[in-house]
Amino acid sequence: MSKVNLTINGLPVAVEPGTTILEAAGQLNIHIPTLCYLKEINEIGACRVCVVEVEGARTLQASCVTPVSEGMMVKTASTAVLAGRRFSVELILSNHPMECPTCVRNLNCELQTLAGELGIREVRFKGEITSYPRDDSTPSLIREPNKCILCRRCMAVCEKVQGVKAISLQFRGFNTVIAPGFLNNLDMIDCVLCGQCALVCPTSAISERDDTGKVWSALADPDVHVVVQTAPATRVSIGEMFGLEPGSIITGKMVAALRRLGFDAVFDTDFTADLTILEEGSELIKRLTEGGVLPMLTSCSPGWIKYIEHFYPDMLPHLSTCKSPQQMFGALAKTYYAQKAGIDPSKIFVVSIMPCTAKKFEAQRPEMNDSGYQDVDVVLTSRELGRMLKQASIDFVSLPEEDYDPPLGISTGAGAIFGATGGVMEAALRTAYEIITGQTLENIEFKALRGLEGIKTASVMVGDLKVKVAVSHGLENARKIMKAVKSGLESFHFIEVMCCPGGCIGGGGQPIPTNKEIREKRIKGIYLADELMTLRKSHENPAVKVLYDEFLSKPLGEVSHHLLHTTYTPRDRF
Amino acid sequence: MSTYKKMNILVCSGAGCISSGCKDVYQTLHEHIGNQGLLEEVRVTQTGCMGPCDMGPVIIVYPDGVFYRRVKTEDVLEIVVEHVLKGRVVQRLTYRSPETGDYLTSQQDINFFKQQTRVALRNCGQINPERIEEYINNKGYCALGKALKDMKPQEVIQAVKDAGLRGRGGAGFSTGMKWQFSAGAPGPVKYVVCNADEGDPGAFMDRSILEGDPHSVLEAMAICGYAVGAQKGYVYVRAEYPLAVERLGIAIDQARRFGMLGENIFGAGFSFDVEIRVGAGAFVCGEETALLASIEGRRGEPRPRPPFPAVQGLYGKPTVINNVETWACIPPILLQGPEWFASLGTEKSKGTKVFALAGKVVNTGLIEVPMGTPLGEIIFDIGGGVPHGKHFKAVQTGGPSGGCVPARYLNTPADYESLSGLGTIMGSGGMIVMDEDTCMVDLAKYFLEFVQDESCGKCVPCRVGAKRMLELLERITRGEGQPGDIELLEELCHGIKSLSLCGLGQTAPNPVLSTLRYFRKEYEEHIYHKHCPSSVCAGLFISPCQNTCPANVDVPIYIDRIRNQDFAGAYQIIKRENPFPVVCGRVCHSPCETRCRRGLLDEPLAIRRLKKYAADYGVTHQDEITYTKSKDNGKRVSIIGAGPAGLTAAYYLRRKGYQTTVYDAAPVPGGMMALGIPDFRLPKGPLFAEVNDIANLGVKIVLNTKVGKDIPFEQVRSASDAVFIAVGAQHDHKLNIPGEDLKGYMSGVDFLRDVNLGRFPAISGKSVTLVGGGNVTIDAARCAVRLGASEVNIYYRRTRQHMPAMEEEIEQALAEGVRINYLVSPTEILGENGAVTGMVLQPMKLGPFGDMGRRRSVPLDEPPSTVKCDLVIVSISRSAEVGFVDGLEEVLRSSKVAKDTSTGIEGIFTGGDCVLGPATVVEAIAAGKSAAVAIDRYLGGTGQIVEPLDVERKYTGPVIEEERSRMRAPTLPPEARIENFTEVEQTYSKEAAVYEAQRCLRCDVRD
Repeated sequence: MSKVNLTINGLPVAVEPGTTILEAAGQLNIHIPTLCYLKEINEIGACRVCVVEVEGARTLQASCVTPVSEGMMVKTASTAVLAGRRFSVELILSNHPMECPTCVRNLNCELQTLAGELGIREVRFKGEITSYPRDDSTPSLIREPNKCILCRRCMAVCEKVQGVKAISLQFRGFNTVIAPGFLNNLDMIDCVLCGQCALVCPTSAISERDDTGKVWSALADPDVHVVVQTAPATRVSIGEMFGLEPGSIITGKMVAALRRLGFDAVFDTDFTADLTILEEGSELIKRLTEGGVLPMLTSCSPGWIKYIEHFYPDMLPHLSTCKSPQQMFGALAKTYYAQKAGIDPSKIFVVSIMPCTAKKFEAQRPEMNDSGYQDVDVVLTSRELGRMLKQASIDFVSLPEEDYDPPLGISTGAGAIFGATGGVMEAALRTAYEIITGQTLENIEFKALRGLEGIKTASVMVGDLKVKVAVSHGLENARKIMKAVKSGLESFHFIEVMCCPGGCIGGGGQPIPTNKEIREKRIKGIYLADELMTLRKSHENPAVKVLYDEFLSKPLGEVSHHLLHTTYTPRDRF
Repeated sequence: MSTYKKMNILVCSGAGCISSGCKDVYQTLHEHIGNQGLLEEVRVTQTGCMGPCDMGPVIIVYPDGVFYRRVKTEDVLEIVVEHVLKGRVVQRLTYRSPETGDYLTSQQDINFFKQQTRVALRNCGQINPERIEEYINNKGYCALGKALKDMKPQEVIQAVKDAGLRGRGGAGFSTGMKWQFSAGAPGPVKYVVCNADEGDPGAFMDRSILEGDPHSVLEAMAICGYAVGAQKGYVYVRAEYPLAVERLGIAIDQARRFGMLGENIFGAGFSFDVEIRVGAGAFVCGEETALLASIEGRRGEPRPRPPFPAVQGLYGKPTVINNVETWACIPPILLQGPEWFASLGTEKSKGTKVFALAGKVVNTGLIEVPMGTPLGEIIFDIGGGVPHGKHFKAVQTGGPSGGCVPARYLNTPADYESLSGLGTIMGSGGMIVMDEDTCMVDLAKYFLEFVQDESCGKCVPCRVGAKRMLELLERITRGEGQPGDIELLEELCHGIKSLSLCGLGQTAPNPVLSTLRYFRKEYEEHIYHKHCPSSVCAGLFISPCQNTCPANVDVPIYIDRIRNQDFAGAYQIIKRENPFPVVCGRVCHSPCETRCRRGLLDEPLAIRRLKKYAADYGVTHQDEITYTKSKDNGKRVSIIGAGPAGLTAAYYLRRKGYQTTVYDAAPVPGGMMALGIPDFRLPKGPLFAEVNDIANLGVKIVLNTKVGKDIPFEQVRSASDAVFIAVGAQHDHKLNIPGEDLKGYMSGVDFLRDVNLGRFPAISGKSVTLVGGGNVTIDAARCAVRLGASEVNIYYRRTRQHMPAMEEEIEQALAEGVRINYLVSPTEILGENGAVTGMVLQPMKLGPFGDMGRRRSVPLDEPPSTVKCDLVIVSISRSAEVGFVDGLEEVLRSSKVAKDTSTGIEGIFTGGDCVLGPATVVEAIAAGKSAAVAIDRYLGGTGQIVEPLDVERKYTGPVIEEERSRMRAPTLPPEARIENFTEVEQTYSKEAAVYEAQRCLRCDVRD
């Protein structure tokens, strides 16, 4: 089809038919501010911030949803346009609590930024402010509907990306509120607590529960031995909150920063990621050789676990019984590490730094106390850690790079790639291949399993066995793959499912903004981190070997069974 | 197939008539016809809505087309026995003309029906909607047959285009073009949708068509399906229309059974079927994209367009969406031809339009007229005008997305372009008539409440902006408006209009914009003066009567004093705000009574008569009254004119301590009260008593002194710190026709002055002719009767309902033998030997509407007639003579006198009739009060002339809520009163006054 010619601010541009004015302007590097717009996910023209003047049109047009047409003449910054934008934002502000200085999103709020950029100095329209109760029913997320500007990005992500539809529009007009049906709280419904909504919220209408206070208290208590683990995906994202490029590997600085905060031991979840590979790999081999339920589904992602419990409770036997690396770490910290370090486990306080809001829920699951205590005491998201560092005025960027503490800080590249979609599968294949065949895997990079394609599949010859694997990320893709599995149309041996798009690097607890471009950069960082490691296969992790020798004896053994494996709970949809 | 019988009786079974009981009437009628053994000869049919919903249940008896209204079951036997059996029309149940009072038996004689052209409503009220046979008998499904057999799809589309049909849902987009787009869109699957999500308050044409003629919609949808290539149609109808849903369902079943829907219709190889989708009644679902979302089972919210539904609609397929009324026009267009349809209406707005007449109009209901019919004709000819003698104020068209049209635009043709030119829209055809009792700010608030409530909440400007507008309006109507609010409202309006996503938001500000455009003063009154002129915004006044009184008299309190037999107290309450209770008790035009809430229950309280009772008591019991005098403040004010304005100003200024002198050219004080009103309405005794009260305060009244002639104005001016000019309107306007110089020609004011001064003209036995329609004319005529005229004729160029004179006066004049001749205008006064002998009169008719919403009087194309008479008294208009003050004439001519009576000339104030033209006593009193306030302020005072009334507003007796007619005051019988000038209206007895006072609902007491 021939291109469509138009002018924007007098500059000619030719674009594909169906292109929106916003996209066409982007091609000319003309910036048009947006608020409700979320590329390919929420293109509804509701906030009226991206309006532009189109010659001949009766009203201002929302550029995010208006397709170009031949000969169109667009102005993106005329007086009328700016007045229109100010009008929309002023109206939004007139129904906003304006608690900026004390808001968790202060200085990282799209509404605040927009108001500043548009030069709004006064809100002249005054009146009622919508008031709905705050929802702090879950360990993961806090909903503050009064700060909601009804951009619907959360809803769109929940519906289109995650396929969950936990929240929707209730009532109409000025009384409209985005909430679970019948204004229920999140703990009453099938919300998986993935936090993707919080990630796209322009304000703080949905945000992570702040648990930093508990950590500050533990750190201040001389009787408590506070240990911390950092998830694979955090090492390529935390830097963003301090002005570093997305994907910058800040592992060493993060370790240093945690030490400066006063943690008694700084460990790495990558260690238990390696351990997971050994346990889960063995479980897969067992299912393959002894005849177990196939395909086997990964179980590291707590959002995914909650999803399958709600949406496919009949499929629970497919899940690997392995705990997630975070929970394996917690169980070992209060047993193996306690013994080794000679510390009373009741005095050990385990903190996790996770890219994830669902991890907060996972840590509180009643079955997660195999150490005799709650295995993980507090889960902090990447964002919360960033806030703690800022509160402590730690100059993150200039910190030296330091190493994790042994033994639970020793890891391989295979553990690191857990942070990206396809990483668990790749790590598992690296180990399973060598264990089953007894041969060294030459090309350890499974490129087919990498990247942001929603569902990736591959067949790998492991000895005589052609292992069919699939990888999905984002729960809408999980739903598709579950449907395929249930229908019997596709037969896989092993499927990796990650709740969040891009895997944990795109987790709901990661720095804001997190979008496709940033996800890609973080993934790049993760694989670079893998490349930089000398050891890149989990079964080569010396500390893991020692762990088996000293404590666990063998994968799927008695102690493993007790500490590292778990069970699941079928849940209702409502 | 049914056939017509000897007699056909149609019983309206529209939803309106059902709610007024037509089902029982039908049953009873059917039984009685059966009992008489007449079922073979007489057919009784239940039809859809006939239109005049206010008159339901309605019945039409054919072959003569006799129209019966408000028929009750107990009336049915009489209709059967008298009309059906004996052929005698039951007159009392027929329509009575509001203009002439005549009974009009035939439907065709009634303006409401006569002036309609029914296309979309052609079958409504004519056929039984539940019988497809009747539809087919009326050429039903012939258009579909014609299309399928004789026309190519493109020819059908061309016919719709040629007809010029535009969407009747409101936006007025070309229907043919819509079909064309859809036909041209690629893809095998297309849809046809009928939008029956009618939601404008007061509009119900879609419902009536679905209820009264559902097949016309089905037929049209099938025609469209054939034209654009669709096989499936949906009717989206709101759940609040159960009867429409039911009848539509019946129609679909019957059409399928008759092969009009389904496979291979008419054997032409075309298949089409229709399903009903019932909507939950969200107003926004009338917006086409929201409607489609709702059909698909999603939340009914609009989406941005393009893509338009014609290209990408239901389930993403090309979809034609038309409104019910639009569909109903399609079959006649195909059958009678596009040229016929295009010949109706105006150049750009073809065909007819259905309007739902509602509000303050005599005949409410559904009507259909050619596009371009003037608004005034719809409201006054078909609608019968405004009931209860109230004034037309505005008409609201287009529902919540529309706007108001004020009285001066009544000649506007009702078509798409003209209405949008006035800032309103055609919309779906809602037409809400408003009278003087409507507050335009409150009206805007009402519509904003509606749209705010119906906003889907998707886009910011509509969701938040409409709410903010509503809140602003609420503040203003609560009396909390602030300067700048109007500008903020305007900004909201423009912002919401230009930024909203869909039509609902883009038009939501229209009610505010149009009321601001035409009634900005009312907003200003609310904001700056905390005054609601229509007495609607209850937070802004004590009671409607007090709010309406130009003199601000606290009516409910003095009524309450009367109820408790504290008559002197009542008198003093009145006199605080009005120095002339005795006068106003007799001649006030009592605007308070027109706003009395009691009038909604039975009759307004007789406030004037109660005032008269209290006033007469006060005047005769001066010992019970206390007066306070103020000390001199050393400043001097001169007042020119001792009429009600001048004396009132003197009264209040003197009480504030000013040395006050009043000059008047006449030999008696009182101005028009003394010289313009005859003794039989206002005896001089009580009047002079009240003037004396003022003089007793220390006001100096200098009579027989015309300023500018007997004494130079400069002298008065230099002796005073301020001057109030209140000389009234003494200069009579002439007709400017030949013969005004003849002997026997007089002005009404001159005549009344002579009579009042006892200089009775010798008119005994003479024939007196008067020209005019105001109180002066009526008073003069009644004087002429008393002076022994052989005959007294009034000639007036409009009709009685347009006469400015008070209704009571007209009644009394007629009773005294005065004859009033309407719709005539004198063109010449004839004379012989220099004396009047007769008058030439041109017959007139009511023509287009004037600026005030009154119809102009225009000559009828008939020859003039001549009447004989000896005396001609003319009173058509008057103006002031103020040439003695430099520059004042120019100030008056250019309407530069401020509301507070200041003139822009240093120290000179003016008010009363000389500013207003001939007005009423109480308006002159109000002007006098304004002048006192302004002069006091000008001379350094506070401007407070009346201390606030410190009174507890509470009930002192039970509120009488059952109906109780107002107490009549006795009047002298006509034969006794035409002999003399004795006061005609008598004062209440004490018992009557107390009894009447008990009727007060005490609107001033708030919980």
